Amino acid sequence: MTDSPIGTADPGSAVVVSIDGLRKSFGPREVLKGIDLEVAQGEVVCVIGPSGSGKSTLLRCVNLLEQPTAGSISVLGVEVTDPDVDIDRVRTHVGMVFQQFNLFPHKTVLENCTLAQRKVLGRSQAEADEIGRKNLEHVGLGDRADSHPSQLSGGQQQRVAIARALSMDPAIMLFDEPTSALDPELVGDVLSVMRDLAESGMTMMVVTHEMAFAREVADRVVFMDDGQLVEQGPPEQLIGNPSHERTRSFLARVLDPTHKHD
Amino acid sequence: MTSPSVALPAGRARMSPRKRAQVSRVVQYAVLVAVVLAVAAGTDWSNMREQVFNLEAAANMADKLPLAALNTIRYTLSAFAVAFSLGLVLALMKLSSVKLYRILATGYVEFFRGVPALLVVLAFAYIVPVAFQVRFSSITVTIALALGIVSAAYLAETLRAGLQAVPKGQVEASRSLGMTSGQTMRSVVIPQAFRLVLPPMTNEIVLLTKDTSLVFAMGLTAGSYELTKLARETLNSSAVGGLTAFVVVGLVYLMITIPLSALTRWLEKKTGSKGRV
Repeated sequence: MTDSPIGTADPGSAVVVSIDGLRKSFGPREVLKGIDLEVAQGEVVCVIGPSGSGKSTLLRCVNLLEQPTAGSISVLGVEVTDPDVDIDRVRTHVGMVFQQFNLFPHKTVLENCTLAQRKVLGRSQAEADEIGRKNLEHVGLGDRADSHPSQLSGGQQQRVAIARALSMDPAIMLFDEPTSALDPELVGDVLSVMRDLAESGMTMMVVTHEMAFAREVADRVVFMDDGQLVEQGPPEQLIGNPSHERTRSFLARVLDPTHKHD
Repeated sequence: MTSPSVALPAGRARMSPRKRAQVSRVVQYAVLVAVVLAVAAGTDWSNMREQVFNLEAAANMADKLPLAALNTIRYTLSAFAVAFSLGLVLALMKLSSVKLYRILATGYVEFFRGVPALLVVLAFAYIVPVAFQVRFSSITVTIALALGIVSAAYLAETLRAGLQAVPKGQVEASRSLGMTSGQTMRSVVIPQAFRLVLPPMTNEIVLLTKDTSLVFAMGLTAGSYELTKLARETLNSSAVGGLTAFVVVGLVYLMITIPLSALTRWLEKKTGSKGRV
């Protein structure tokens, strides 16, 4: 972050996301029960946990796709939970990749990558095209720029979605179960793009069920269960030698699905 | 290998299913031919040729036909312009977070879908001028409003469904890139919704084209006759063969609506193959 993307951000701050006492309810159901979490610049944090544990909701609160019920979140030094914040401005610095890709089906692959660059960042068509093509190259799809999303496989679509997010030059990338909707043989390509991205120093928050990926790429793994952050730590510790019974039981189920637990 | 024997029902030998289907088809054809023959035999062909398929009478009205066809198209398009703008407003009202808007829009839709279009046309011709002390300067405006107001009720439902059919993930993806809700509507939601509603919307134009025939109930001057009114006037003013006019304008209606229906099918195919991922 040589030039701080947001004016009010502290340029020396190494913390990109800071979550404090976050609570979120859907009606009477509380899905986040007080989460505290910080993500430092350049850090790759993988969030794991059973379905319904609130992982995705946590991620979606970071860029305010879900409005928190209580607590505060600051991104790049900006309090996004402040009702007067210009959230659109913050979101330009926060890339997001969805489980269902959510590419724009009426646009070509390249247009998917250039739309927001032009509308939001005010880049010229030529500049946006150049940046879009560069990012499509990075994800290995430079030759598919003029295709429509429906002509691509799921894995290719997800890589386009990554290129689309990267084209905004985000300071942090959020991945919401990016490989969960993919056929098993297509998962590898997406994960390898994410691994490259992590190695390039991108700050990443990844909600995932891919334990091998978390173990290999994450700087820190966070285990969530029932709306609570149960424990966190380096992958070798959390996955290799978890200290909580809930973590152990979850990992046992995930790493050895045939294993009869309890 | 011994093939297991299937237990056949005892008694009378039954027809195989294929044989039965064959017999059924033959019977259906026979019924159709019988009906056609009966109708043909019961028709007074010489009278029909003179009254209904009278080429001379058709030629006599030919010079008035282009203007009437043009008026039909003019009324259709202007009514559609009203219907689309009003329908879009109603659709957005139906999706509004303001409850009163939703109630008003629902009431409007229910009312105008439940009332015969002919009544609305008559109301615009005779009640509205009395009620509001207005005389619409041009008959086209009156017709556009009368038919447009009815059609808007149908279009509103179509447009609302289209806007709602765009997946929520599209909005989330757009907003997560920093686009405002307005930019998201314009660049992401409306273009996709438009593709979805294009086929039903073309269908609505076909319906409108036919509904322009209802304006015969208004007092029209000769220059503003559309096809149906022209046919009625031709019938009234011609001694013999006047009924031919209905056949002629029927054909002209088909010349307008069949290409539109074909367009609808083509659009359906096109949007179907390129639509969702």
